[in-house]
Amino acid sequence: MSFRNYKDKIDEGDTVILYLSNNLYAIDVRPEIKSKKGDLVENVFQTPFGALKVRNLIGTEYGSKVELSKGWGHVLQPTPELWSLTLPHRTQIIYTPDISMILLQLDLVPGSVVIEAGTGSGSLTHALIRRVRPHGHVFTFDFHEHRANVARKEFEEHGLSDFVTAQHRDVLEEGFGENLKGKADAVFLDLPSPWIGVPHVLDALKAKGGRFCSFSPCIEQVQRTCLALERQGFQELTTMEVLQSELKVTRRTVPVRDLSFLKHKSSESPVEEKPSSETSYVVGAWPTSTPGHTGYLTVATLPPVFARKKTQETEQNNQCADIDPSGNGSAMAVEETG
Amino acid sequence: MPMANDLIKIGDYIVIQKQNYRKLHKLNKPNSTIMLGRDSINLTGIACCPYYSIFKMISSGNKKNKEYNLELTDIAVNLKDEIDVKISGNDNRNIVDDGRSQKLTASEIENLKVDAYRASDIVETLITNSSTFHNKTEYSQDKYLKKKEKKYFEYIQILRPNLRIIAEIMYKLDANKIQGIRVDTLSQVISFANVYSEGVHLLYDSGSNGLMAAALLSAIGSGTSGKLVHMHPGNMSQKQALLAMNFEGEHLNRCISVNVYSVLRQFHQGCDTNNTSSEVIENSLKRKNDEVIDHKVKIPRLENDVISEIVPNVDCDSSEQTQPEPKKPKWHFDNIAASELIRDKVDSLVITCKEDPQNIFKELMEFVKPGRPFVIYYPVAEPLQQLYLTLRSYSNVAALRLINNWMRNYQVLPERTHPEVMMNGSSGFLLTGYILK
Ligand SMILES: C[S@@+](CC[C@H](N)C(=O)[O-])C[C@H]1O[C@@H](n2cnc3c(N)ncnc32)[C@H](O)[C@@H]1O
Repeated sequence: MSFRNYKDKIDEGDTVILYLSNNLYAIDVRPEIKSKKGDLVENVFQTPFGALKVRNLIGTEYGSKVELSKGWGHVLQPTPELWSLTLPHRTQIIYTPDISMILLQLDLVPGSVVIEAGTGSGSLTHALIRRVRPHGHVFTFDFHEHRANVARKEFEEHGLSDFVTAQHRDVLEEGFGENLKGKADAVFLDLPSPWIGVPHVLDALKAKGGRFCSFSPCIEQVQRTCLALERQGFQELTTMEVLQSELKVTRRTVPVRDLSFLKHKSSESPVEEKPSSETSYVVGAWPTSTPGHTGYLTVATLPPVFARKKTQETEQNNQCADIDPSGNGSAMAVEETG
Repeated sequence: MPMANDLIKIGDYIVIQKQNYRKLHKLNKPNSTIMLGRDSINLTGIACCPYYSIFKMISSGNKKNKEYNLELTDIAVNLKDEIDVKISGNDNRNIVDDGRSQKLTASEIENLKVDAYRASDIVETLITNSSTFHNKTEYSQDKYLKKKEKKYFEYIQILRPNLRIIAEIMYKLDANKIQGIRVDTLSQVISFANVYSEGVHLLYDSGSNGLMAAALLSAIGSGTSGKLVHMHPGNMSQKQALLAMNFEGEHLNRCISVNVYSVLRQFHQGCDTNNTSSEVIENSLKRKNDEVIDHKVKIPRLENDVISEIVPNVDCDSSEQTQPEPKKPKWHFDNIAASELIRDKVDSLVITCKEDPQNIFKELMEFVKPGRPFVIYYPVAEPLQQLYLTLRSYSNVAALRLINNWMRNYQVLPERTHPEVMMNGSSGFLLTGYILK
C-alpha cells in the first residue's frame, strides 16, 4: 500500500524501492515467498552488493540506510517516477519525460476525468492517478485481457482502486462505452492506430470540450491522426518530441601545455614535451549514447460544443480512406450534450 | 448551458488569441482596451460570454487609426475555406518576382481594407489582381493565403488561462523573465518533486514570476488538503502567473507566500522581525521602498484581497515605542503558519532561483522529510554541477541526477511533414534527488 500515501515506516505488503548506487529495484515486502517446490521459504533478495533479508525491512524508516552483506543501499517509497524505472514490463512503456509532458498537455489537475488506452504496463497510469486524485478518476482500457486483469490487480494491491477503473476492451472497435459519453476532460491514446479512435474520443469528451493526446513512434501514424483530428473539428493541433539526457558530473583534471616558451631561444629543444602543469574543471559530460527517439506526442483541443466547426462530411479525403468512415460520431456528441 | 465558471467574468485573467498570437490580460472592467500588435481593441461585450467565444473585430474609427470593437460571432472562417482557389500551377518555373505581379497600388489596397466587409473579400480581390497567384503551386498558394490571413484576419478568441497556456505565453514573450523554464522542464519539476493533492510542498522561487508556484499549486488542486509554502527573497512575491491561473480563494489560500528571511527568522528565533539591529532594519526598509514601487505597477491585486501581501519588514516592530499593540498584519500570521509547517517537515522541495542554489539548498534541505524528493532548476549547468559535487559527499542525499531536456515541434501536413524550422534551444537544467535520514 506504499503507493497511496507517504508514510514513515515500511510495513509488510509494501512495495519499496531499493536504491543501490545508480541501480533501482522494486521489492515486495513479504517475509516469506513460495519456493519452486511450493513451500514457504525465507524471502532473500539478491543484489550486486550481496543479499538482503526482506523480513528485516519491516519497521525500517523510509529514506534510511539498509545493510547488505557486501555494502549498503537506501530504501525509498515508490513514486510514479521510481515505479516507471522498476516496474515489471509487460509492454513497451512511457517514461517520465513524455509522461510529464502528457500530464501538462492534457491540462490535468486533481478532479479531472481522464481516459487512457491501452493500459499496457501501467507506467503512465500511475502518474495519471497521482495527478487527478482524490476526486478525479482514470478510466484505462486494454484489449489484451490478461494485461487488463494484471493491471487491475496491481492497482488494487497498490491501494489505488478508488481512483482508477481498468477494463478489458477494444476501444477502437467498441469505443469507451455508453457511460463515458460526454464524461471525460481528456483522452490519451497509446496504441498502434490512434486515428481510428478519434471519433470515439469526440464522443467521450465533455460538452464543454477537452484535450486529446496520442503517443506514436512513427510519423505516418502522426499524419493520419492529425488528419482524423482535423476532420472531427479538433483545434490547436501540435506535434512534439521530448528527449532527456543525463549529464555525468565529475571533476576533471586537464593537462596544460605551454607553448609560449618557444618564442625565445632556450637551451633545450625537445620535440615531444610533457604537459607542463594541470588544471581542473567541474564538468557535465553529455552521454555518448542517449535516447534519440521515444515517440511523437500529438495534442489537440476539442472546443465546447457551441464553438465546434461543423465537420465537412462531404470532403472525402483520399488519404483518410482507411479511417473509420462512420463519421456520424460528431453529430451524436452534439445532440448528446445537454 | 455553460456553467457559471465557463463564462468570462470581470476580474478574471483571460487569454486573447488572434491566430497564433496569444496574450494574457486581466479583465478589470467591462470596457477595458488592449493592444494586440498595433491594433487597439475594446473588450466591451465579452464579459458573460462563454470562454472559447469568437469575436469579430469591427473597425470603430476612421481610416487610419486601428481601433476595433468586438462582435460575438458564430465561427471563425479560414481564408482557405472561403476562397475557392480554382487553378494552381505544378511548379514555380514561370514565376518571376519583379514586384509587378500585383496590379493594385498600395493605396488602393489600403482603401480596400477600409471598405471591404470581410477579410476574404480583400484577399480575393488581391488574388484576382495578381498575375502570378494562379501559376503558383498549391503549396505556395497556401503559404500566400496564410500570410495574408495573418495580415487581414479579423477574429479573436477568448480562452481561459491554464498552466499550459500561461507557460507558453510567458516563455514566448520573454523567456528570461521566467528564467528560461520551458514547458517540458516545467512539467518534469512537478513529476520529480512528486507534487500531488496531499502533503506539504516547499518552494523557493526568486525568478519565475510566479510560474513555478502556479505549476505546483495547480498540481496540488482545488478542494484538496495539500499545501504549498512559497518562499521568496523580496518584500512581495512575484505572482503574475499564479494570479493568472484564476485559482479560487480556498485553493489560493493553501499557498502561503512568505519572505524567506522573515520565515526562517521566525523558525529559528521565534520572531519574524529583527529588532536588535537597527542597521538591518534600515537596510531592509530601503530595499522595501525601492521594490514596492516597481511591484505595485506590475502586480495587480485581486479585489477581495485574499492574496495581497504586505511588506514584512516594514513592521520591524515598533519595538522601541510602547504603544498599545497594533493589529498584527496578515504576513505575520503567514510566517507563523509557514514556520509551523516546515517544523513538521515537508514532502518535497523545489528551488528555482537566480542566486547560487548552494546555500539555499543547504538551509532548506533540513526541512525535508527523509525519503522525499527535491528538484532544483537553474538556467545553466555550472552552478548545478558544482552543487552536484558538493552533495555527492553528503550521506543524506541520494539518487542525484543532473538532467537536460530537448524538445522539438513538428509541422504535420500531407506530404509536407517536417520539424519546425525554429526550436526553443534553451530548456534549463534540473538537479534531482532524494533526502535521506
Ligand atoms: C505500448 S502499450 C501502452 C503502454 C503504456 N502507455 C505504459 O506506459 O505502460 C500499448 C497497449 O495498447 C493495447 N492496445 C492496442 N490496441 C488496443 C485497442 N484497440 N484497444 C485497447 N487496447 C489496445 C495493447 O494491448 C498494449 O497493452
